[in-house]
Amino acid sequence: MATEPTLTHQLILFRGTDWHRGLSPEELQGTMSRWNSRIEDLVNTGKLISGHPLANSGKLVSGKKATVSDGPFAESKEAIGGYLLLKVADFDEAVNIAQNCPALPHGLEVEVRPIVPICPVAQAAQMTYEPAAALA
Amino acid sequence: MNAAPTNPVDLGSSTNIPKLTEHLFRHESGKLVSVLTGIFGIQRLQMAEDIVQESLIRALQTWPYYGVPKNPAAWLTQTAKNMALDIIRREKSFRDKQDQIIATVEQWSSKAETEDAAKFEDEIKDDRLRLMFTCCHPLIPQEAQIALALKTLCGFSPIEIAQGFLTSEAAIAKRLTRARSKIQELQLPFEIPTGEELSLRLEGVLKILYLLFNEGYKASSGESLIRESLCHEAIRLATLLASHPATSDPKTHALLALMWFNTARLAGRVDSDGNLLLLKDQNRNTWDQEMILRGLVHLGQAATGDELSEFHLQAGIAACHSMARDYTSTDWARILAYYDRWVEINDSPIVALNRAVAIAEVSGPDEGINAVNAISQLDAIKGYYLTHAILAELESRKANYKAAVKHWKRALELSEHQAEKAFLTQQLNASQTAA
Repeated sequence: MATEPTLTHQLILFRGTDWHRGLSPEELQGTMSRWNSRIEDLVNTGKLISGHPLANSGKLVSGKKATVSDGPFAESKEAIGGYLLLKVADFDEAVNIAQNCPALPHGLEVEVRPIVPICPVAQAAQMTYEPAAALA
Repeated sequence: MNAAPTNPVDLGSSTNIPKLTEHLFRHESGKLVSVLTGIFGIQRLQMAEDIVQESLIRALQTWPYYGVPKNPAAWLTQTAKNMALDIIRREKSFRDKQDQIIATVEQWSSKAETEDAAKFEDEIKDDRLRLMFTCCHPLIPQEAQIALALKTLCGFSPIEIAQGFLTSEAAIAKRLTRARSKIQELQLPFEIPTGEELSLRLEGVLKILYLLFNEGYKASSGESLIRESLCHEAIRLATLLASHPATSDPKTHALLALMWFNTARLAGRVDSDGNLLLLKDQNRNTWDQEMILRGLVHLGQAATGDELSEFHLQAGIAACHSMARDYTSTDWARILAYYDRWVEINDSPIVALNRAVAIAEVSGPDEGINAVNAISQLDAIKGYYLTHAILAELESRKANYKAAVKHWKRALELSEHQAEKAFLTQQLNASQTAA
């Protein structure tokens, strides 16, 4: 078994690509400046591994025939607009960082997902059948 | 968008990211809407507004990840330009003029980056004046003119405008729609008027800026931050007019002087608890001397030509107050002289009421009360709280406290604002104690 890492990887997903619609230039600038300084803090404390904005639309591939369709649509409440990959002490710290997102009052939602060190299904399989080969 | 898949090193490598100028987005928004309207034509004002909003959103979506660009204004201009070009290429209605428009767009953005920057700034100035003259066109209802100017030239949102004017967002949205459809329907031009028309139309623009300023200056109504912004935006637009040869009229300078004198004294009007202070109780150290100086400079520039406008008289009165070291050294005789001229050209009972205050200062409370009673349209201002507040103050100066109490009570009934009510209650109590 691997030793317990002291730091964990956490993914922060920003949900919503339409929340800035009704904001005034002044509010947009204020939100952006606050956001900038939060991310700057994460960089300076070494907590941010990477992060990028995503284009508002792309393609959706699904089905047996691997059908390609449009989506998510340009503006939606659920679509992911960007992500941050963090290296922090634990899940709670990542949640705390998410709670500081300056766009929350305007309707953006932030999803926090721990990056698990090993797939839970594989982990379960390992426990049931025991062979070390399951790690391979 | 081809964002390089790098880590946000731009941010990590420099600890001091460029800080944005205060109100940069709002001010750039006003400029870009004007420029895009110049390119698309005034009929597509809404499209220009949408593109600018979209450019600002694009900044919000990317700058946190990649850092603030070295020249944020140029970035916004470039982004707006790209979006404009996309629309022009896509929309059929542009097809016949497509090449010409694309050439113009490419020209203005390249100008912004080269040594022609100063020339480009001048062109933007012209576009902003054109848009100002369209927004303040006399055929648009006055309230709608103000709302449209704030939205397009100053970058305010309908909610912010509503907060400044103590009305609903829906009401403002309606005014904006009405203004835009008037522009369409009447085919209002996007131009700086020339010849004889200029002077008349300039007067209309100045009046709107004056109303806009007063909306911000009005004590105790609306949200205070927004109100102060309204004053500063009115100054920005008036400064633009004052610095352009076509509109740098003595009247323009007089209005600008008035705005500076009054803005200089904004902070002194309330105490630390937010209570209103009378002029005589204000701490004059809180008055902004630099702004007063600017006011004086423009008052000097206003003193050319032979026209004496209401703005001149008001600026003259404001200058007297601004320059008095303390209340007792106020030059009331000169102020009264300005009011005497003012009532000659404006028969508003409000102006006459203010004149009565000056009379009381020069000749005593009895003369002041007589002047109030002699106002020809006194009935029209009997429902105005200030009429009774002034009478109450003059009666109490005569130690006629019973009459003062009666007027303070009436003023209190008529006042609608919390800060005013608090002030009046305080005065009422003082008179009641003395009675």
